[in-house]
Amino acid sequence: MITAKLLSRFGLSASALIVALLAIAILFPLANLALPPENPLHVPSHLLPLLGKYLCYAMLALALDLVWGYCGILSLGHGAFFALGGYAMGMYLMRQIGPRGVYADPILPDFMVFLNWQELPWFWYGFDQFWFACLMVLLVPGALAFVFGWFAFRSRVTGVYLSIITQALTYALLLAFFRNDMGFGGNNGLTDFKEILGFSLQADSTRAALFAASAIMLALTFALCRAITLSKLGKVMQALTNAENRVRFIGYRVEHVKLFAFTLSAMIAGIAGALYVPQVGIINPGEFAPANSIEVVIWTAVGGRGTLLGPIFGALLVNGGKSYFTAAFPEVWLFALGALFIAVTLFLPKGIVGLVTQLQERFAARKAAAKRQKQTAPPAKPALNPEAAE
Amino acid sequence: MYSKLLQLVASALLVVVALSFQSAHAEPAPQQLVNALATGKLKQKPAQIEALAATKNPAIIPVLQALIEGELFYLKNDGQVVIAPQSGPMIDAATGKPLSGLNKSSLKKIKANNKVRRIARAAIAKLTLQSPVLAERQAAVEALFKAAKPESLSLLLEAQKNETDPQLQTRLAQAIALISLQDKAATAKAQQAAIAQLRSLGGQQALALLQAFTARDDIAPQEKEAATRAVEAIEKSMALWGIGQNVWYGLSLGSVLLLAAIGLAITFGVMGIINMAHGEMVMLGAYTTFVVQEVIRSSFPGVFEYSLAIALPLAFLVAGSVGFAMERGIIRFLYGRPLETLLATWGVSLVLQQAVRSIFGPTNKQVGNPEWMSGAYELGGLMLTANRLWILAFALLVFALLLVVLRRTRFGLQMRAVTQNRRMAASMGIRTPWVDAFTFALGSGIAGIAGVALSQIANVSPNLGQTYIIDSFMVVVFGGVGNLWGTLVGAMTLGVANKFLEPYAGAVLAKILTLVFIILFIQKRPRGLFAQKGRAVEA
Amino acid sequence: MSTMQENQPLLYLDGVSVSFDGFKAINNLSLVVDHGEMRAIIGPNGAGKTTMMDIITGKTRPDTGEVFFEGEKDLTQLDETQIANLGIGRKFQKPTVFEGHSVYDNLVLALKGDRGVFATLFSRFSAKDRERIEEILATIRLQSRAQTLAADLSHGQKQWLEIGMLLAQDPKLLLVDEPVAGMTDAETEETAKLLRRIAKTRSVVVVEHDMGFIRDLGVKVTCLAEGSVLAEGSLDHVSADERVILSYLGR
Repeated sequence: MITAKLLSRFGLSASALIVALLAIAILFPLANLALPPENPLHVPSHLLPLLGKYLCYAMLALALDLVWGYCGILSLGHGAFFALGGYAMGMYLMRQIGPRGVYADPILPDFMVFLNWQELPWFWYGFDQFWFACLMVLLVPGALAFVFGWFAFRSRVTGVYLSIITQALTYALLLAFFRNDMGFGGNNGLTDFKEILGFSLQADSTRAALFAASAIMLALTFALCRAITLSKLGKVMQALTNAENRVRFIGYRVEHVKLFAFTLSAMIAGIAGALYVPQVGIINPGEFAPANSIEVVIWTAVGGRGTLLGPIFGALLVNGGKSYFTAAFPEVWLFALGALFIAVTLFLPKGIVGLVTQLQERFAARKAAAKRQKQTAPPAKPALNPEAAE
Repeated sequence: MYSKLLQLVASALLVVVALSFQSAHAEPAPQQLVNALATGKLKQKPAQIEALAATKNPAIIPVLQALIEGELFYLKNDGQVVIAPQSGPMIDAATGKPLSGLNKSSLKKIKANNKVRRIARAAIAKLTLQSPVLAERQAAVEALFKAAKPESLSLLLEAQKNETDPQLQTRLAQAIALISLQDKAATAKAQQAAIAQLRSLGGQQALALLQAFTARDDIAPQEKEAATRAVEAIEKSMALWGIGQNVWYGLSLGSVLLLAAIGLAITFGVMGIINMAHGEMVMLGAYTTFVVQEVIRSSFPGVFEYSLAIALPLAFLVAGSVGFAMERGIIRFLYGRPLETLLATWGVSLVLQQAVRSIFGPTNKQVGNPEWMSGAYELGGLMLTANRLWILAFALLVFALLLVVLRRTRFGLQMRAVTQNRRMAASMGIRTPWVDAFTFALGSGIAGIAGVALSQIANVSPNLGQTYIIDSFMVVVFGGVGNLWGTLVGAMTLGVANKFLEPYAGAVLAKILTLVFIILFIQKRPRGLFAQKGRAVEA
Repeated sequence: MSTMQENQPLLYLDGVSVSFDGFKAINNLSLVVDHGEMRAIIGPNGAGKTTMMDIITGKTRPDTGEVFFEGEKDLTQLDETQIANLGIGRKFQKPTVFEGHSVYDNLVLALKGDRGVFATLFSRFSAKDRERIEEILATIRLQSRAQTLAADLSHGQKQWLEIGMLLAQDPKLLLVDEPVAGMTDAETEETAKLLRRIAKTRSVVVVEHDMGFIRDLGVKVTCLAEGSVLAEGSLDHVSADERVILSYLGR
């Protein structure tokens, strides 16, 4: 019954994705924990955090698609929201270390002791509570996106201008987080995490749980984005990419619509970052690098923007390729990535999903044409027959 | 490679110095007096040095220098005094001629203690202060001025009596003032004179001395008052010069920004193409310079001074043809899709970076400065380094040339025609695709020659372009798209603003603040400082 | 209050000027449009017709002058969205519809209702809405193409869809910029009929070059030149005016 509701609400492919994500959320951890290593279906322990990382990237690409694919806002700074979510989670994990750090200070993280700080900066208060960290994972990227977007959209900064200033935003944050006196560990960032909610981050079961959480969260955020894009608001968002002026002149507050999408998207990116950090075990300012944010754009473009499904596949595909290439031919990876940028924009403007849809349509058209021929053929025969009879 | 170059320059300088020395002072040092240094106890050395100094013969300077350095020896058998440097041939101290066939074991060191060394130094100073060559006297005064030791006061006073050069006279007076202000025994009149002298001298050293002077409690209130006022005056003038220096640093940074952004002002500003590989064009220019210098070093070492002049057209060609290929191969298919152009050119930038990394390696490459690019000029309280000065001049020259090309040439006219109304331009017989391609090549080529200039002050590495790309876009957007003057003003404003923020906020925070400022500024004026207004813009 | 509104003209422009970089696009322009009136605006290129519409709809701010809607609503203080929600609809010179959406969805988006973000997000489509859209589809003769992508419509059909979207907005005043540009004669005739029908219930301002079309409309004409009103009255009256003839021909 639930599937039927899902189907009617989200359509076939989207429902399939949701079901598949929920299925792997259960099956992969099971295959890791319950099956013995000899079993061919056993998922090795090192694979789960890697796949979990990919799922977080997929969520980030999904977030970008909501603004780029549906509102036409090409953000070149979405990595910043991802990183901020990651830092919020990292701060919680840092506080969880407690007296087990190298300097064994019960309150201060190691890097603060190293910098000779005497007390915890005010913005680290509360991060010893998981719920507070989770709240910040949403609020910090959300608030930044809201303030930034409020300024940008209100003064109608659009197109490449917006892209460039979002890039400047993440660049400024990159520079800021490199500074030691910011209080986020400077160059080294936050690392050496021990446990989350009391469970060791090294334990297979914790990793499996984090993987499951990533898959479920991806399914949820995907469902949310799908619901929004199917709503009337989603139609208004898509209308923005066609004729922003018309949207304004029929009375919608363009800046509010964009602000809503941008803020929500930043929050989803923040969630992705928060799930990413415990699985890779580190967050550092490098995540703010403008190049990272542009890479997210290419995942989205490869999969097909404006489809929500495409970016998820694009992120999985490109990152799988990246892992393979950087291990097998490290020299070639940047060439491959660069070529991918060029090839996708030149030859696959709608990405893989677009290509598939196009092929489907062509196939359907051919089928229809064949059917029509069949239908027109029989009457032709009787028409011929009389002549032949004559 | 770089250290080799330094060695070369240093040895060339030595030769020049040695030559001038020989020609000016052919007369040898008095043999007897020099050899006397080999005799007697340590106690007798001061008298021997005085006697040498009394000859006023500059040829004894290297002898005394060797004594100070512990490189003065005498032959055990006949007592001849010899200079034996740690490396290089031994020299006859009296004649200055090289000696051969001597063994170190046949030498005995002439001992010296601190007192002897001090006296020797004073003797050297006195000798050089009385040298007939003005440049040597100047050098001696400068050395005493920097050290500002009370014991050199009498030397300076004596030199002041004989000095004829007016400039050196003032310098001497200043040096005397510096020293006499520290002298507890100086008269009130001497103090007054010294304060006035230091006040007109200005600078950090004078300021520190005056401040120390005002803190003393053995001085009359009158002098204290004068010194306090002098401190205020110096602080004020130093603050002014400080502002001037900041403006200079700002203009210098601005010229770098201008160089990086000026090509972008064409591709982005005029054509509206977002070229994320623009920074890589700059990088290509810098690597072209590197290659040119490598070839010169290995094959034509004589023309090193002209390496930059050779690199300029080559860099323009290299970056320009890459730009041309980019436009023909990729960008022309993406006109009207700016976001896609952005992504595709980003891809090109990745490929170019990796290509350079594969060919030249990931490490920084050393690009040498020709001699005319090194050194510094002092202008009042300003320090202007030659390379920065050249780069500022070069940036302005490139800017002016570009203006001329756009305004005065046929190509510039066609370019403006195409960007304003493509269809009309096409129907008037302008081959718009070629104009597009050459315009883009022009913008890229200019980025290439910017790379030649930047190779003189920045690290030449595959990441060179990445460091400039965001700044360049900021400059163009801030100045106003499609307006070359806006780019100039934008670059200089941002450069100066950055340098003025730095003392208060530190370099990184200053940069962040500038970025935040531009982000806010774009909200206020989305089309930059020099925006065009009207209906046509929005259509 | 309502009586006062009835006495006030619907749209009132007085002494409006605006210049771009020294060029006076609108120069001391005054114009009054009454409730239920249809007005045609003519004038040579560069007379300021589109800029006038920009000012009324809040796209351009005037340097000087007053612009009031329904007596007391100062349009110079409002932005496009606020003005649209006051009940002023605008059709652009170039047909501007949502090409990525179907004809039906275009009308759904334009349909009068709460425009807030969350209200839009949770909005439900009612039977009454459906009825209203069917009605508009019939008016603009696009019933058979309701599910077609707007991008696939012909030029004239796009113009009609845009007018349909304005109707869905249910505005008090419609500003229509060159509605028949690029239309066939038959389409032009249909459009004139359509506009006359619309003008029965609301005020309409039409900017047009096509004199035949304006004659078809048969309404009061205002001729603009160099940013000011040159003449006002019936088409015959205006086209007999010496200065109008001069401004069209004598430049």
